[in-house]
Amino acid sequence: MNSIRIRHIAAVTRNFLLAAWALFALFPIFWMVLITFKSDIEVFSTTFIFSPTLANYHAVLFRTNYFKSFFDNIIVSTGAVLVSVAAGVPAAYALARYDFKKKEDLAFTILSFKFAPEILVILPLFMIYQKLGIFDTYFGLIWVYQLITMPLLVWVVRGYFEDISVEIEQAAKLDGYTWYEVFWRILLPLIKPGLVSSALLAFIFAWNNFTFPLLLTSFNVETVTVASLKYIASDTVHYGQMAVAASVAALPEVVLALIIQKHLVRGLSFGAVKG
Amino acid sequence: MAHISLKNITKRYDKVAALDNVSLEVNDKEFLVLFGPAGAGKTTTLKMIAGLEFPDEGLIRIKDEIVNVVPPANRNVSMVFENYALYPHLSVYDNIASPMRSSLYKESEEYIKEAVHRVTKIMKIDQLLDRLPSQLSNGQRQRVALGRCLVRKPNVFLMDEPLAHLDAKLRHFMRAELKEMQASFNTTTIYVTHDYMEALSLGDRIAIINHGKIVQIGTGSELFYTPADEFVARLMGEPEINLIDGAVSEERGKWNLRLLGRKEPVTLPGDIAERLAEKNVSDVHVGVRGNDIEYSLEPKGDGWFKGSVYVLEPIGNRSILTVIVEGVKIRIIAPNDFKSEMDQDIYINFHIADAIFFEQATGKFIVRHKQEELLREESKCLN
Repeated sequence: MNSIRIRHIAAVTRNFLLAAWALFALFPIFWMVLITFKSDIEVFSTTFIFSPTLANYHAVLFRTNYFKSFFDNIIVSTGAVLVSVAAGVPAAYALARYDFKKKEDLAFTILSFKFAPEILVILPLFMIYQKLGIFDTYFGLIWVYQLITMPLLVWVVRGYFEDISVEIEQAAKLDGYTWYEVFWRILLPLIKPGLVSSALLAFIFAWNNFTFPLLLTSFNVETVTVASLKYIASDTVHYGQMAVAASVAALPEVVLALIIQKHLVRGLSFGAVKG
Repeated sequence: MAHISLKNITKRYDKVAALDNVSLEVNDKEFLVLFGPAGAGKTTTLKMIAGLEFPDEGLIRIKDEIVNVVPPANRNVSMVFENYALYPHLSVYDNIASPMRSSLYKESEEYIKEAVHRVTKIMKIDQLLDRLPSQLSNGQRQRVALGRCLVRKPNVFLMDEPLAHLDAKLRHFMRAELKEMQASFNTTTIYVTHDYMEALSLGDRIAIINHGKIVQIGTGSELFYTPADEFVARLMGEPEINLIDGAVSEERGKWNLRLLGRKEPVTLPGDIAERLAEKNVSDVHVGVRGNDIEYSLEPKGDGWFKGSVYVLEPIGNRSILTVIVEGVKIRIIAPNDFKSEMDQDIYINFHIADAIFFEQATGKFIVRHKQEELLREESKCLN
């Protein structure tokens, strides 16, 4: 009886701690959503009891070009992830399968792109972009986003390729498949969990990025992260409108994460071929 | 249905030669066993023929066509990998169907269905068709891998230790099945193993490979009765052959052998003496197998060696008796009802008529009593 009671208490404690953690983690988001319904005055004077208003939504969604920023963000983030997948998967395959000089150095260099703070390289990049004429273009932003989307993808997918034994590929070749057929029919399904989860993370990195679009774009291309700055006026900060911009901006990430939640955890923590 | 030929194949990995000037002819419809210790180059040889590795030097021919630069898919060979190499995301059915779904060897789905069912029935895995490889035991995975190999009609079957991971009972069963299948498939097969029982039981011929070189190619009885050197002699047979130091000398027209530094000589039969005289060797290793040694717990008179029992291991249908004579351990096969104490005195006698003579310095085969007659009779028995 005693051991059952201990287990019971343990379960209750565990759940209590998890619930406390969830509350702690979710409260800022809840608070942000709450603010979206408050007028600027009530932001500072009320906590839970206030007269809700949709004025902030109206102001942000209809009276500014928020949607334009939103779609710009979708274009550059999706574009960056697609380029990363198209270039990163072959790169990961090469790093996993072939032996060449300085292989580990190259792999480490790719990873090291994520080490340096973006602000460190932004000034030379700014000048290079001005000279090349890709300042304030979709292409320019997608290109520079490779610095933040590619490394993770390459490293995760490389691990998946390394887990697939060479003999599986060889068996498929002997079965009469060409290299491309081997890739699409055998390799791709096996790396899928890793590819999906790392691509999603890459998308989130790109979506949330602030430094690059702030300094490498101006009027043509504008992402939501940069657009949110507009609600800081010279005399006051429109917290309500800013909260609306941030909440709407977070929506795609939340939806994507919920859809592939299972893949996300498993994809980053397991290998491809489990016996 | 094809003749396979390897000519002067050399393959190096970082200057270490995995295969060193290997030449090998495999006849059409022949079952050739590649047999040797781990790291000898057996798998490399198979992968060369499959086109998964490329030789640094030499020519590979399948059906008299040089295939050195033909990609693996176009060679129409079928291979079982030692680690199974099953597709983890496909069911057993789809795994076995895979070779018939490629653009190169495409078959209709009805044909595939029939072929898969035929093969899985033989392999006794027809109840597992919907499972994934991760839901199978090692023995079942190996049978799926075999099934994927046998479902095709290739130029040659390449099998890399396909029975290595099965338990003893299933291995024995599958060995018999494979032999039966080979007879009905009638296709050239190259089979890699490190189990001499499999080699002897399955192979039409056996190629012994060591350190990337082919040591000897021959039928099972050739290898067993007249091994090319001590290495081959040691590989064949359980317990391992006894190699005993002997000194040969000619005295008054007779050739005498003194074993284990003994004074009293044994007179050698004429054909052995002749070969030894030809070769002009005086120091030999005499190879005697465990069942060619008499033993007795009572003293037996001249020519017998006195020793003491070192250990007696009963292994079911027989026992292996290890005896120490003059500081040398001799392994003898005894019936399983034989009883003895440790360190008990024992007397043994070697059958020189069944012994194999090797040169002591090089370990090369010299002669065996009546070797030609022996092999002739063996081949008669087989036919």
